[in-house]
Amino acid sequence: MADAVRTQGLFKRFGGQVAVGGVDLVVPKGSFAGLVGPNGAGKTTTLSMITGLLRPDGGLVEIDGHNVWADPVGVKADIGVLPEGLRLFERLSGRELLLYNGQLRGIPLDEVRRRADELLRIMDLVDSQDKLVVDYSTGMRKKAGLAAALLHNPRVLFLDEPFEGVDPVSANTLVEVLRRYTASGSTVVFSSHVMDLVERLCDWVSVMNRGQIVAQGPIDSVRRGRTLNEAFLDLVGVRGTGEEGLSWLGSSTS
Amino acid sequence: MVTLFVRLKLRLVRGGLRGDTIRQIGFGVSVALAVLAAVSGFLLFSLIRLAPDDVALNLGIAAFTLLTVGWIVVPLLAFGLDETLDPARLALFPLTTRQLTTGLFAASAAGPWPLASLAALAGGVAGLARGPGGVLLGVVAVALEFALCLVASRAITTALSGALRSRRGRDLLAVAAVAVLLLFQLPNLLLNRGLPGDPARMLEGAAAVLRWTPPGLAAHAIADGGLIGVAELIALGMVVVVVAWLWIVALQRALVRPDSSTAAGAGSVRRSWSGRFLPGGMLGAVVAKELKYARREPRGRITWFTAIVVTGVVMFSTRGPGGGEGAAFAVWPACLAALMVGLQAANSFGIDGRSLWMNAVVFSGARDLRTDLAGRHLAIAIIAVPLLTVVALFAGLVAGSAVWALAAAPTAWGVLGVSLGVGAVSSVILPYTYPERLNAFSGAAPGQGGQAFLASFGTMFGTGLLALPLVVPVLLGAYWLAVLAVPYGLLVAWAGRRLASSIGFNRLPDLLAAVSRPT
Repeated sequence: MADAVRTQGLFKRFGGQVAVGGVDLVVPKGSFAGLVGPNGAGKTTTLSMITGLLRPDGGLVEIDGHNVWADPVGVKADIGVLPEGLRLFERLSGRELLLYNGQLRGIPLDEVRRRADELLRIMDLVDSQDKLVVDYSTGMRKKAGLAAALLHNPRVLFLDEPFEGVDPVSANTLVEVLRRYTASGSTVVFSSHVMDLVERLCDWVSVMNRGQIVAQGPIDSVRRGRTLNEAFLDLVGVRGTGEEGLSWLGSSTS
Repeated sequence: MVTLFVRLKLRLVRGGLRGDTIRQIGFGVSVALAVLAAVSGFLLFSLIRLAPDDVALNLGIAAFTLLTVGWIVVPLLAFGLDETLDPARLALFPLTTRQLTTGLFAASAAGPWPLASLAALAGGVAGLARGPGGVLLGVVAVALEFALCLVASRAITTALSGALRSRRGRDLLAVAAVAVLLLFQLPNLLLNRGLPGDPARMLEGAAAVLRWTPPGLAAHAIADGGLIGVAELIALGMVVVVVAWLWIVALQRALVRPDSSTAAGAGSVRRSWSGRFLPGGMLGAVVAKELKYARREPRGRITWFTAIVVTGVVMFSTRGPGGGEGAAFAVWPACLAALMVGLQAANSFGIDGRSLWMNAVVFSGARDLRTDLAGRHLAIAIIAVPLLTVVALFAGLVAGSAVWALAAAPTAWGVLGVSLGVGAVSSVILPYTYPERLNAFSGAAPGQGGQAFLASFGTMFGTGLLALPLVVPVLLGAYWLAVLAVPYGLLVAWAGRRLASSIGFNRLPDLLAAVSRPT
């Protein structure tokens, strides 16, 4: 089985600080993969470089065997992206955003309309489809962004913190859609630091810390009998237990 | 409490400057300008002593009023520059309203510009006081007037702070800002048209009305220096107390009311019908999006609005008694309008800002970028061509004959094409972020001012240079050359897009980074 995503020695430096220092990420085709790591581990930078939004200082990125930076034509039609933050065209309505996206990708307008209507219905955005994105809540934005990323039926989907700031109801919708999507053999790569969620959803996990991959593989091989949270804390190294100091905190009367 | 707030303010200023050379330089320049304003304000104000008493008084009244108005208007336009301005950030601290009021008042007084205006106001004592009584009253009057400036400014920003943080409020204010700028242009226009009556009479008329406003009372009290002055100061003091009370009320409301920026309640937009006439695919999608943005994005509306206004001002102000008549006076305002409209394409990707990634993940070759640019140009042309036609017709009428529009309109269209072509190149070479701030006139994100300056002036210069062979002969009387203007413009625009897309596609990640800087 070929790998959906493979990077070799991916490297990025901002000024004097190395954000990503030689990442070898592997995601097998058809997997629901989680990229986990503490804040500042380099997850967003890695995903940006893989999706062609940030130029790496060194290293190789391949998606389905195509080099992202040398052969963008072979790659860009096959990937869907939901980047960090909530960066959407603010002055379009949710529906217009989807139509714009589909047309930009060269899908015939009738087909775009059909797909957009279906996506809006499944994402529960029908009532607000004609409101401007600028007035959307966080959950609505994530759903609209995911709908836009799915519209052209990509083979690999990259999501940066798709569940951050999303209420349980919207999160459930997102999860259902993504499950259906991977069941058909497509690949999802998403970053998160909610371990429970990753444990529940993913069959493949890559753990990042300080710009490096520190563990990678099927979730059970990374977990090795522990919960993912425990395994993660062991891998990342717990920094300070918080037991010294703070003696005044709490309602003890002594 | 007062020292705590002042220290907080100073610390915020220092923190904002740390590690950012451009901002440090900016702050240095700002302080230097404030000192300059303080010294020159004081000196100029003292100089009115040399004028006859009544003229001096009128000048003083006008100056005091202008300063107060400035204090109310300027912070509104620059909202978000000063952290201590926003009371909602302090809502969680256990502070009484009185503590908050005095603290915020002290914090707003601590800064180069408040101190500079205090110095300038103090010049009023030197300029207006006649005798010891005047000096004595003057000190009190200046203190009260200074307090009035601060309190009024705070009261207005506090009352509006909720509205300012919501989208619609900001949109509205951005448009209002244009109106304010227009007001500043008004005297200029009037002077150009040759106003009936002399400036001295105008000043007298204005002062007669302004004399009864609070700042006018302050100025008059200094000049009077007697019992009437005392009465005026008491009235002024009462005004300050009332405004301060209004401020407290607004503050209390702002602290417990929900933030209106989180409240939902925005309406839906109509589904667009214009899409039906557009070609399908990428080109049509970009055109449709750009047309929507021109309508819905306040920054977009403002660029169109200012282009029209500036052209209107130029059209009328060149046509004074000294101005000439002739076809040239129809051609060049139209060309200027075309340039102004075209300048907004000098940073085409700036308006997309952080959402530009959506295009970037799709573009798989320079050809796609070229289509995108073509879509943007087409959208501008759809609005600009009819607009420039109207401008040309109007300029023709103002200059003497509507027939001249036949030369003016095609030349303007050609200039538009040239500026779009040049703008496409500068969009990919010198991209910068438009700040998403209330102030629609600030040019670029912190640290990108130089780039913004280069991009707009480069485009202006480049357009001027490339348009010269076209415009100069037409201006000189070779009107038939206007026939060639449109093909020439189209050619330059096409070449610009071709060059820009081949440069830009390789720079796409850099382009993306440049337009999504934090603001």
